[in-house]
Amino acid sequence: MATAIIETTSLTRNYGDICALKPLDLQVPEGEWLSVMGHSGSGKSTLMNLVGGLDRPSAGSLQVGGKDLLALTEDGLARFRREFVGIIFQQHHLVPYLSAVENVMMAQYFHSVPDEAEARLALERVGLGHRLKNRPGELSGGEQQRVCIARAIINSPKLLLGDEPTGNLDHKSTVMVMDLLKELRDEERFTIIMVTHNQEVAAWGDRTIYLDDGVLVREERMNS
Amino acid sequence: MKRLLRIIWAILFSRATPPFVIGFFLLVYVGIAFITDETLIALMRYTRTSFFLTAMLALLPLNFAVRLVVETIGYLKMRRVVMVSTEDVQPGLFDETVELTVTSSFEQLQSHLEALGYKTRRIAGALGAWRGISIFPARILFIAGVFLLYAGILISLTTRTSERVAIVEGEKFSSSTGESGIVERITFEPSSGLILAKKLSMEVAASSGKGKNVFGVYPPSLYQGAFVYPRYLGIGLFFNFTAPELPAGYETFSPLNIYPPGKEATSVIPGSPYRLVFSLVGPDDETDPYTTGRMNFNFKLLKGKDLVLTGSAPRGGEFVRDGYRLAFRDSRRLVITDFIRDYGVLMIWASGILFVIAGCFWLPVRIFFPRSEMLFRSGPDRIQAFSRAEGRGRKHEGVFHEALDLLEMRRTDRKSFEG
Amino acid sequence: MVAIKLIPHILSWVGIVLILLRGFPERKRVVAVAVGAGFALGVAGTFFLFRSFPGDFSFSLIRDVVGGSFLLLWGIAVASIYRSTVRNFPLSWGERFFASIFFAGVGAFMSGMIAGAISVCRLGTSGGMLMLLILVLVACVLVFESLAIERLLPPSFTVSNSALMAGVVALLLFSSSSILRLDLFSPLSMKVMKFTHDFVHQFFESMLIPDHLFIHIHLWRYIGLLFGKEVGFWGGLIIWFAPAILIALAISFERLPSVAHIRQGAQRRTVVATAIRARRFRLVVPGITILVLAGAGYQSRFPAVEYWDPKPIVISAGPSGEIVIPLKGEVDLKDGKLHKYLFSQGGKEARFFVLMTPTGQLTVDLDACAICKPDGYGQTEGTVLCYYCKTLIPLETVGKPGGCNPVPIHFTEKKDGVYIDGLTLINTWSTTVQTTARVKEGSK
Repeated sequence: MATAIIETTSLTRNYGDICALKPLDLQVPEGEWLSVMGHSGSGKSTLMNLVGGLDRPSAGSLQVGGKDLLALTEDGLARFRREFVGIIFQQHHLVPYLSAVENVMMAQYFHSVPDEAEARLALERVGLGHRLKNRPGELSGGEQQRVCIARAIINSPKLLLGDEPTGNLDHKSTVMVMDLLKELRDEERFTIIMVTHNQEVAAWGDRTIYLDDGVLVREERMNS
Repeated sequence: MKRLLRIIWAILFSRATPPFVIGFFLLVYVGIAFITDETLIALMRYTRTSFFLTAMLALLPLNFAVRLVVETIGYLKMRRVVMVSTEDVQPGLFDETVELTVTSSFEQLQSHLEALGYKTRRIAGALGAWRGISIFPARILFIAGVFLLYAGILISLTTRTSERVAIVEGEKFSSSTGESGIVERITFEPSSGLILAKKLSMEVAASSGKGKNVFGVYPPSLYQGAFVYPRYLGIGLFFNFTAPELPAGYETFSPLNIYPPGKEATSVIPGSPYRLVFSLVGPDDETDPYTTGRMNFNFKLLKGKDLVLTGSAPRGGEFVRDGYRLAFRDSRRLVITDFIRDYGVLMIWASGILFVIAGCFWLPVRIFFPRSEMLFRSGPDRIQAFSRAEGRGRKHEGVFHEALDLLEMRRTDRKSFEG
Repeated sequence: MVAIKLIPHILSWVGIVLILLRGFPERKRVVAVAVGAGFALGVAGTFFLFRSFPGDFSFSLIRDVVGGSFLLLWGIAVASIYRSTVRNFPLSWGERFFASIFFAGVGAFMSGMIAGAISVCRLGTSGGMLMLLILVLVACVLVFESLAIERLLPPSFTVSNSALMAGVVALLLFSSSSILRLDLFSPLSMKVMKFTHDFVHQFFESMLIPDHLFIHIHLWRYIGLLFGKEVGFWGGLIIWFAPAILIALAISFERLPSVAHIRQGAQRRTVVATAIRARRFRLVVPGITILVLAGAGYQSRFPAVEYWDPKPIVISAGPSGEIVIPLKGEVDLKDGKLHKYLFSQGGKEARFFVLMTPTGQLTVDLDACAICKPDGYGQTEGTVLCYYCKTLIPLETVGKPGGCNPVPIHFTEKKDGVYIDGLTLINTWSTTVQTTARVKEGSK
């Protein structure tokens, strides 16, 4: 059994009177691909935001990579996000007036220092070696998402979070992006937590958990 | 003995020597400043006369001469290393050195680096890659310039000799080194040059009688191995003076430093209490009397401290009053000239030219085409990699690190996701 | 009042202690003790120095020590720039020395001693031992305060060896420049002016460049700029700031660590970014040093003292051509103040002053020196000051020829007054002062 990279005990998140995530106990081993499914408002994104250090829990404990996120200061949390987490969104959030390689270099800049050769290599790894100088508007949806993947992995995160990364993609592009993520995960051994509505996408993971109204209702292990 | 030689070599070779020597002279300068206000002159004099200070100063050109040789050898060695022409690689020559426990024939790396604009050379398990232009020519010109500068200063300080002579129109052109022909003409006229406002020319008949030499202001002409350096203009005045106590009169030719008009110079009448203070009258039409030759002279006659009389007279004229008579028989243009033997000057000027050329080469190369080099050598079970850059180091390092990543990750085996 | 006088020194002292503590993080206790002990010894030593040599000697000695530390800083700055730009520059012994406990102790002790000496120069010895004892006590309390403040500074704020030296010397200069007689910037400007004048003259002669007779007048005007006091000021500024700037450059040129052995890009970049961040923090002290030096230069340029600058009294010679100034007439010549006179003869003028020096000697001097433009002198505590180059001349040396000293004039002191030959006065003014005035206007 691999060491748990994420460990939550009674993790809770309230927004005023609304309880978005009810006390949750969850363990994610290092290197696992965990898919999170559920209806809209079931607490999937809340869970992801908490695990990624984008939000703070209302109660419970949350250990990620041996760090107690509740104990971290704002600076510490920012450093944690910078050095530990990579995020892929459904909306790509690429800077429209920067080229693909510059978008990746921007992530390097906020992490440490930019390195063009390394950014180029990352884009080559996601199959965009021929699109380095193109701006997001000149790329297809699948290509944009691959730029996002290059941007997310450029800083070698231990934890990759995906929030409906294929939500806007057609089937062919979805398969390509998932294939790429799997390949990269196998090479880099990072942990993936992917929020999705799509059962087929969830099936790429090692395990799927189902949330309903902020409660973990079911857990399913996939056959590799 | 060996130890001593090693120390001498270390001093000659070390890059620490120039700042130490210059710092030493700075301290001496500061020390002298406590004693005299003429600090620079005094420092030059002490350096000229003291063997120790001369030897200290000599360390500078010697150090740069050695560096000239050593850096040239170093550059050639480096070039051979990067061109994969030698196996003798000294890691100290590079910015980064690393060993990877993988092996490779570098074939794919070579094409990768070529695609990035590097020139490459691959021979038997070694790959050299480079791009841009080396600043070595600028560097070597700079060092040669510094060598010439310090050597020039040293030679100038220790060997310079100077002799001041008044060159008079119509007289023999002479210095202690020998005589030449007659100074036929001295002309001084306005010049439209960028720097010089006046053009001075001294035409001297050759001693053989055939042809003539012309000496100007700048660049200084050479005469029997000495630079001819005109310093001041003056007038050579032939005058005859009689006074009640000197009925026999006194006649002399006196070279007077009285140019420009208004400047005063004194001529003492030997064996008498009289002194004559002369000056040149500036014409009303603002012409230059030295140029036109129309000269009027003001004079003051002093007897001890007392002013006896003042007056003026033109060239060829005379002044008579109260038993005194002063006649200006003739006046000639003269140039107070220094004959300077100093070959250090040439070296100092040459150094300036070398600095300019070096700068003109260095700046565009450093900005637009900085040299960067890398070398990969494959051993039985590992690869040694070396890298250096003269500019844009971060970008080059990125490429170097990528190359190392490629070697270790065997990226070429990875599946392609081209959509 | 005493506290206000001491503000620059207190600020400098706290700064010095903080920089030393942060510069030797492993040896804080040694540094604190050494710097405090140095201060106490500096105060005591200077007290006895002033008691033994009450004149200019003591001030000169302390000023020379501060000047020496500035020269040392120059050496270190040059070594630093060589170290960071030249491969294999042999300075490892110097770095070992810097890192030793010996250097920490001695460096802190010396810094404390100079700071203590400067403070006594400000306070004077008239307050007696008690005042100085209080000064030492305050300094020691400030050391403890600094120890507490230092703990609050962020750990990433580090000080390199060369920056430490720059910071301490700059603060000492700031402290000393608030005392006219310890000021270094004005004499430095003066020396630069003289050096530039000599150098340009020598360069023209050595390189056989034609004299001004042959060169276009507009070009010569530009060359003439090299003889003005502005050259001294700007040249002085360059020399003043250069060590700190060189040290800052040396830090920014420092090579980043080699990361070629790291195979993960993010790790490589993290190492590089950490090194860059640390380098930026190391630039903080040189940056502050530049500001402190600017403050010191400002204090020197615009000293907070008032000058005694009387309007020249017009005076004429008697039938024999002799000027007679009564010892006690309109003014009391022996009151220790500078009294200026203006004498005219045959369309020529000469300005001069009469002064009684602290040694009880009357002296008559031109209101000008043989070097600068004749802007004249003002008097302040213990010195006269050349308005042109801002050089201070101790009252004890007024009447002696040379340098920026006022040109002495021969005179005779009789019971009824001071007798000066008018012609001699006019001639001396003509031969020395008008030449300098012409030179400063741009003639070689």
